[in-house]
Amino acid sequence: MGSNPSVVDHFVQAFEKVSGVAHIARSSVEIAAQVVAVATEKNAKRVALANLPDNLTGAIAEACVAAGFEVVRDPFLANTLPAAIDQAQVGVTGIAFGIAQTGTLVEIATNDVVRLVSALPRTHIGVVAASNLVEHYDDAASQVRKHFQSNPAGCVVSFMSGPSRTGDIELKLTLGVHGPESAHAIIVVE
Amino acid sequence: MPSTRYERLTEKIRESIANPKNSHALMHCMQRGRDKRSEALAVLPGGAAFRDEVKKVKDQCIENLPGLLDQFVENARKRGAHVFLAKDGAAAIDYVLRLAIARGVKTIAKSKSLTTEEIEINHPLIEAGLKVIETDLGELIIQLVDEKPYHLVFPSVHKMAEDVAEIFAKATGKPVSSDIPSIMKVVQAYLRPIFLEAQMGMTGANIGVAETGAIVIETNEGNGRLVSSIGDCHVCVMGMEKIVATVEEAMLMVLAHPVSASGQLPTTYVTWMGGRLPLGEGDGRAPRESHIIILDNGRTAMREDQDMREALSCIRCGACMNVCPTYGVVGGHTFGYIYPGPIGIPWTAQVHGLEKAGDFAPLCISCGLCKEICPAQIDMPMMIAEVKHRDAKTHNRPRADEVMMGADSAARLASACAPLANAAMNIGPVRSLMESVAGIDSHRKLPPFKRGTFMKTFARRAPRGAGGIRKVAFFVDVYANYNAPELGMAAVEALEAAGCEVVVPDQQSSGYPYIAYGDLDRARETAAYNVARFAPYAEKGYDIIATEPTAAYALRVSYPKLLRKSGKSKRVSERTYELFEYLLQIEASNTTTQSAQFAGKRYGFHVSCHQRPLGAGNGAMEWLTRHGAQVELIETGTCCGMGGTFGMKGGALGYELSMEVGKPLFTKFKESGVDAIITESSVCAIQLAEGTGLPLMHPLALLVKK
Repeated sequence: MGSNPSVVDHFVQAFEKVSGVAHIARSSVEIAAQVVAVATEKNAKRVALANLPDNLTGAIAEACVAAGFEVVRDPFLANTLPAAIDQAQVGVTGIAFGIAQTGTLVEIATNDVVRLVSALPRTHIGVVAASNLVEHYDDAASQVRKHFQSNPAGCVVSFMSGPSRTGDIELKLTLGVHGPESAHAIIVVE
Repeated sequence: MPSTRYERLTEKIRESIANPKNSHALMHCMQRGRDKRSEALAVLPGGAAFRDEVKKVKDQCIENLPGLLDQFVENARKRGAHVFLAKDGAAAIDYVLRLAIARGVKTIAKSKSLTTEEIEINHPLIEAGLKVIETDLGELIIQLVDEKPYHLVFPSVHKMAEDVAEIFAKATGKPVSSDIPSIMKVVQAYLRPIFLEAQMGMTGANIGVAETGAIVIETNEGNGRLVSSIGDCHVCVMGMEKIVATVEEAMLMVLAHPVSASGQLPTTYVTWMGGRLPLGEGDGRAPRESHIIILDNGRTAMREDQDMREALSCIRCGACMNVCPTYGVVGGHTFGYIYPGPIGIPWTAQVHGLEKAGDFAPLCISCGLCKEICPAQIDMPMMIAEVKHRDAKTHNRPRADEVMMGADSAARLASACAPLANAAMNIGPVRSLMESVAGIDSHRKLPPFKRGTFMKTFARRAPRGAGGIRKVAFFVDVYANYNAPELGMAAVEALEAAGCEVVVPDQQSSGYPYIAYGDLDRARETAAYNVARFAPYAEKGYDIIATEPTAAYALRVSYPKLLRKSGKSKRVSERTYELFEYLLQIEASNTTTQSAQFAGKRYGFHVSCHQRPLGAGNGAMEWLTRHGAQVELIETGTCCGMGGTFGMKGGALGYELSMEVGKPLFTKFKESGVDAIITESSVCAIQLAEGTGLPLMHPLALLVKK
């Protein structure tokens, strides 16, 4: 796929249009710092991490603990769920790829813990490599198929375009009715 | 039976007109839906062309449904899902009930699913002692007050913030202030424990993907994600028509759905669920399972019914109800049983029975706008006509509908004794009699009849030499024939001036009222008559020109459908044009004669609904502009309310509803400051003259030699 500046710009524009907040990070240290900054701004006590590469989970966890946050991460014991994640104010998940045209983060889960981390806390942060952004909505189809093929037993693909929203009362756009009221994307540029 | 049936409908219509609060909220919602859709189409590559793709894919999938169904079932099972094919609602409910009991379920959290509403699954589950909670905010609101959806996409659009606050105050037993952020906090606190404790999560599916065995759930609120991930037992109830073949086709639907509904691209959350996932690691949980109930409930029969099959292409976007003129006034509780709006008529007929569909089918005025906005281009007007047609076999039609279908013969008679008929139409008692006997509303100022018809005048003319550059077969229809022969002659002369040889074949009027009121036998007879007369000309290279928008629509759109796409009907359709789009094509572009009569005047142009799929009035507007008129399009995007002859009928199911529908457009015209309104439709003209008090003109009137 390869990253180029325009696809990142396009993603950022589209993500902001759907009420998301985009950040650019160049290293795991920067990613961790941005997670801490968001968690601080949200007065979080607990941060949940899932679906991230081990080294990145380590880096973010370390920075969060140093900043005084409690961290929940792999392994999530079945009998602690869903409460362990419900008590987190910020959830951070790894994102397989993003769609610039629509400002969509695409999360691939083979364990529903991942979905809970991106759905239950009031703030969600998706971490996506700039090289995994595709320009067009149509480009996503082959990716979706690939993930289903490589996970024959069970696979849930989630498109997430901004925070939870509703217009069910007087058609007034209201964010965060059930899921996250704020949605962040950290785009990792190498 | 029939009389109490229409009395009930009349009562409901009058209630809606008397209490416009709901209707105002609904119309605002509809207008916003249309505007947002247009905005989205402006940035979508290809714009409205996605409809062609959607139609192609849905047609194909319905055609291949049995094979796709097998493939979906096989692939879903490979992923560990349990699949149950339910022949009807009772079978689906029984399956869920047994499953819930076997798993010791106490609470079921539901995300929005019209299919579960179709089978009314909640009540039997609640009666069995289960706690069943809707988690989509709009659905929860109507569940708490035990109502049915007012709109497909915005089920609680008729509830204002203060109503919602009151509903939650009652549900929680605590006061709720009526600002939306406060309500949201209450909703979150109310629903979060439900999400966490529910042992069973129930969803619908917007799409089933045969190649992967995955279901796709689209939500904006994110409740679908929570409902499908937390409880150990997931149940999906999906209509069998939702299955598509490939991921690419599913991607198309994921876009088509919200673009059409609210102009989003795509919904905030789209969950592609391929099998059930574990939750966390280690022991301590019940096995995780997913049950997919594929519902037939009349769908197989619908597929085998050539007149109803297209309804299976519905993707439940609600766009048709965003444009339906009468739905906007009365709302989904009157215009619907469970499935509301235009598409609700064929769907109700197929899954809840003809009787229930017939109860509200007369609300359709056959303007055809639903077909033009539908992402799958479903021919709802024709299917609704079919529902009315079938319903009329066991019920009498309203008297006025019969009269309107006989308008052509009445006009023939009135024209034959024009002075007498015209005088009579201005006599109060005569009009009262016409209203009580024939059902024609006495408020209506009807156009006077002329003694000589167009057909006679044309026939009496000195013969013209054959051999124009182009050959035209002229279709005249009722108004220009009986009421305004001079306009018909003006059209002929304009065509001749542009180098056409004009013939007027033997013909009947278009017969569109037969479609509108559902007498498809007579509609087919008329279509066959006219096609038989015009096809030989079409085959000899004649173009067919009509001046009345509805007539052009009938020839181009309705006849091929009525005549099952016969070769002759297709050839007639392909060569049919509206007068002005045709004149524009053939008149040399240097004929920009600046007519003095236009000087200093502003005209507002009204597009009749049946022009939308033709030239949308662009032909006439451009032609007028070319001739020096200052013309602007004034529209709401929906109907003026006349609906052909609908607004001529007396009472709530006619004049009263018609005028109520027209109000927003009347206001727009009045506020525009134009000097006169121009429209090509003879019936819209009657409506707009009455609703706005402005002078009305036919563009052809500008061709009439003074």
